[in-house]
Order: sequence, then structure tokens, then C-alpha cells
Amino acid sequence: MSQFRPFSAALRTANGAAIIDLSGEINGAADAALSDAYAQAVLGRPQRLLLNFHDVDYINSTGIALIVGVLAQARKAQLPLVTFGLSPHYQEIFRITRLADFIGMVEDEAAALAG
Amino acid sequence: MDEQMTETMADETANAAALPVSRDAANWARPVEKLAVEGERAGALNLNVAGKGLTGPLQGFGALWQKTYRLPLAAVDVSPAQVMAWWKGHLPELMPDDSRFYPSMTGVQPGEVVLINATLPAMFGAPPMPVSTGVLILYADDESFSVMTPEGHPESGFNTFSALEEEGVTLCQIQSLARANDPVYEFGFRYMGGGAQQEQIWRHVLGQIAQHYGVEPAIEVRKQCVDSRLQWAKAGNVWHNAVIRTTLTAPLRWTKRALGRTS
Repeated sequence: MSQFRPFSAALRTANGAAIIDLSGEINGAADAALSDAYAQAVLGRPQRLLLNFHDVDYINSTGIALIVGVLAQARKAQLPLVTFGLSPHYQEIFRITRLADFIGMVEDEAAALAG
Repeated sequence: MDEQMTETMADETANAAALPVSRDAANWARPVEKLAVEGERAGALNLNVAGKGLTGPLQGFGALWQKTYRLPLAAVDVSPAQVMAWWKGHLPELMPDDSRFYPSMTGVQPGEVVLINATLPAMFGAPPMPVSTGVLILYADDESFSVMTPEGHPESGFNTFSALEEEGVTLCQIQSLARANDPVYEFGFRYMGGGAQQEQIWRHVLGQIAQHYGVEPAIEVRKQCVDSRLQWAKAGNVWHNAVIRTTLTAPLRWTKRALGRTS
């Protein structure tokens, strides 16, 4: 059984993109950190926003709602959003929740930056 | 041959064991293209659910709202998991008369469909309108469950029902992240009392929980418009509108019922 890891979101930039490295559990407790990371990311006026899920090991439905919120804000700001590092399980969840209709899902950072 | 088969099976088992299984895997519904309604739901009108696809907060037409309703169970010695177990077990009884829920025998489990028979308020001289729809249980764990709406439902999005602890107090929370599914619903929510009725439904549910635990229904409501834009590309969702379909097919149901009585 995997160990509980609190959520963190670290912002960095590459090739004009803002990249938020997500880590740990995305649940209701992730709200403030995720909102802060998004707010910091858009301050730099990036050309696109990349969300890195490689180090995420748990998402509940409140966590999905937080991601929907980030996506809605990005769409409003006409900021393309791409995800990478999603496990097959989370890709499936993005499909059933129909987030996948609006979010690009690629395998790794290189593909996300190239896309 | 048997040895080879055994080795192959052993390899597959080892590979499966090597793949990390997310802790939340069992909490999520399996992907579905179209909804199916399994099992008998006594007294429920089963319309506008079977064969419908799911619509999330991004697929609807209207402004996207996040609405959060919270009830503190102050001075009640009960854990979030205990509250949620009771909540799930009494879901239909907690709903108001104008919005009945019909879960399956399995109850609140990921992938199950809950049928909904509701009545929209009478406005501007028009009689109350029935609506038959439903929701999919998208996610469920010990302290929460979420539902997602199908095509034709008044809202397009998620509702999450949860119990949590903050500063030593157990809270019950209902959070919706949804927009009106089509232009007719958006008009109804804005100008015909639909939005107020929706809020009244969740206040009623929390009020019932407050009554059960013997606390004052001190319900806090927070509303945030996440995206005020209308998604005109989704105006065609009106084709699935469950209110229109339920109303238009009513004469057929009355005729069938009348013929059933006379035959």
C-alpha cells in the first residue's frame, strides 16, 4: 500500500511554458496550493500551461473538481493546457469525467513542450 | 505444456503485481460511453438516462458555478466516516418531495445510476413540470461520494457530498461544480426560479441531516462564478432536454396507463 503524501505544487518555466509539477495527493486539501501555483503561473504570461502528474499517486473527486477549476480558468484566459505523466488509471478518469475533451494528454514533458 | 502455461500465468501475475495500483482505483466508476439503468426502481419513472452520455462541468451551456453548502455538526461526537455511512444509507429520505432519488439496490457505489424524478416550480401561470433524469455515481469513498450528470439533465457537472473534520468539528458539505446544460435550462435557472430551487434542494438535505443529529441547521452557502461565459457551441444540448422530453411523452404514458387499466 502506498504511503500518504501531502500535496505540493512547484512552478518552473521552460520554452515559454509554465510547468506546474504536482506531487502527492490531490484532494480538497490541495485547493490553496494549486490555486496559488496557477496564479503564480499566469503572472508570467506563459504561452501554455503544463501540468505534470508524474508524481501524483491519489486523486479523489474533489481533486478532479480542482483540476476542472484550473482548466476553466485557463480556458477563460485562452491559455492552452496540456498534461503529462498521467498513469493509465488517471487517463481513464480524465476520460470518464470528460476533462480529456479539453485537456491535451501526452506522455512526457518533451512531448508536452513540443506539442 | 501445462508447465509452459503455468509459467506464462506466473509471469502475467508478476507483471500485474509490478504495476502500481492507485489507492483510489476502486473508488472511481469505470468508463462508460452510454449509461445503462440496471435493476427495478419501485415507483420511479425511468426516462432520459439509459443510452445517454455523461456531461461534465465543461460540456454544458451556461455560466459555470461552484456552490458550496456546509453544515457544522457542532458538539456532536461523530466521525466524518460515520456521518457519510448514514448519509449514503438514507439518501432517498433526505431529498425533498419535489426531487426524489431512486438508487439501485446496491446503493451508493461507483458506477451505479441513481434515477431522479423531480418537479420544476410553477411559474408565470404555467403548471409545474415533471422531469425524469438521473445521475451516475462517479466516485465514492468512506467520507464522500460524487455524482455526474447525463445529457438532458438540468445541470452539466458534478455534485460532491462529503463529510470532513475542521478544527475538531465534523462538517457536512455539498459542493456542486456545474453549469446549465442548455439555453432553456440557463433561462430557467436565471429567470424562472430554477437556481433558487436547486439551492433549496441542498439546503433541505443538510437540514434533514441537522435534524437527525439534533443540531441547528446553520447552513453556510458560498457561491463562485468560475466562468461566466455562455458556451453557444453547446446550445444544441437542448435536443436532450429532459424536461421537454418528459413533458412531451406524458400523453403517451397517460394513454398507456389508461389502456392498462381497461384491459
